[in-house]
Parts: sequence; structure tokens; C-alpha cells
Amino acid sequence: MAIAQAMCNSFKKELMLGTHNFATNGNAFNLALFAEGSGGKSSTTATLGFGSTIFVTTGEVASSGSYVTGGAALTKVAPVVATSASTATAFADFADLSFTTATITAMGALIYNDTNGNKAVCVLDFTSNKTSTSGTFTIQFPTADASNAIIRIA
Amino acid sequence: MFELGIGDVGSVNVMTSDKGGLTNEQVADLAVDKIVSISNEAPAHIRQQANQFREHLKNVLYHYLLLARKEERGSIIQVLESSGHKEMAEYIRRL
Repeated sequence: MAIAQAMCNSFKKELMLGTHNFATNGNAFNLALFAEGSGGKSSTTATLGFGSTIFVTTGEVASSGSYVTGGAALTKVAPVVATSASTATAFADFADLSFTTATITAMGALIYNDTNGNKAVCVLDFTSNKTSTSGTFTIQFPTADASNAIIRIA
Repeated sequence: MFELGIGDVGSVNVMTSDKGGLTNEQVADLAVDKIVSISNEAPAHIRQQANQFREHLKNVLYHYLLLARKEERGSIIQVLESSGHKEMAEYIRRL
């Protein structure tokens, strides 16, 4: 599969190096959309997964409506961890993101650190091509809690 | 052990529309998905109750979303009419 959901391996290391700051006043993170195969608008196929280290334009969908290549900035939900349990899970999340009046076909997305060298965070696999035609393309992030949040450390 | 994981089923949900924005029903679905999450491991009767609550919540949200859009259109129409754009106000009224 050319786009496979994963936490990027490089991200795990970069967390220990303090490369990524998810505080609300921390780094800026972007989400870019990618196509897979001939279903997308892009003429090239994206290859994204655990090995992705950086944002690349290969396979990114074309600009349309409010979507501009490079993706859009995400609104961060500040990291949280419970202090009452030794097995508590720390998590960070993002607010939902919408692109309007857009004609887009995307199979997945890459979240990357726009502040620190476009370093990859994680790959999101939509599992099938999702298409908007002169319409809205909304990415809804999971509930920001220890069981569902998009980035969790247990 | 230090374990870093991404949500499996808790991954993103994508909602799209054609020739216009999301419908009231789609927005209600997005809201309900954010408010209610039901564990696959929950007992069957709990899941059943949670699903019923989810449906009720969706219907309530749908009703008020409909009302909110209608009221907002009413405000826009009023602004357009009071500034002399009666034709445009009529377009909005017909939406």
C-alpha cells in the first residue's frame, strides 16, 4: 500500500530530541492531502508510511478551493496526561480541518512540523479515496482523550 | 516499557460534499462522533443504550442545526434588504 497509517519512526526519535512542541504556543503543524493511484488529481502516487521522515510534494493533491499545496495549519489541542495513575496515557490532538469549495480526491494525509524543517509526524490513511466536488472536504480528528486522540504515548 | 501509538480505530473521519457545503445531517454526524464514542468491548446492553442515546442526540443536533442555519439566513437577508440588495436577499431566502 502506498499510503499506510503510521506514526513515523523518525518522529519517535525526534520527540526524544525535543524537535516537536505540541503546546498551543509551540510549533506549527500542517496537514497535507495525498492521492494514491489514478483516483487522485495528482499525476504521481504518494508513498507514505512509517518510513516517512519529511513532507514531500510527490503525490500531493493539487490546490483547489481553500486547499493550497503544502496543506493547512492545524489548530492544536494542548497535550494532556492524567496524574492519578502510573499507567496514564499522554495525548495530543488537533481540531477538525475543512477545505471549502474544493475539488479534491485524497487517499490519505501527512501531518508535519511546519516550524522545524517539515519533519513528518504521522501518516493518516483514509482507506479509500475520499472525494469532494466543488464542495467541502472535512477531516475530523478523534476525541481528545487517552483512548482516541491522534497522538498518544502510553 | 515506552510505547508510542497512533489511534487505530480512533483515526480520522473524512466527510465530503459535492457542489456546496456539508449538509445538516453530515454536520450532526460529525458532532455526534465527537461527543459519543462507544467501545467495541462494552457489554451489548450498554452499547445498545449508547446507540439509542447517540441517535437521539443526532436528531436533536440536526433540528437545532437546521434552525441555526435558517436563523443565520434570516439575519443575512435582513442585512441585505436593509442595504438595498433585495434581489440578493431573495436568492438567499430561496436557499
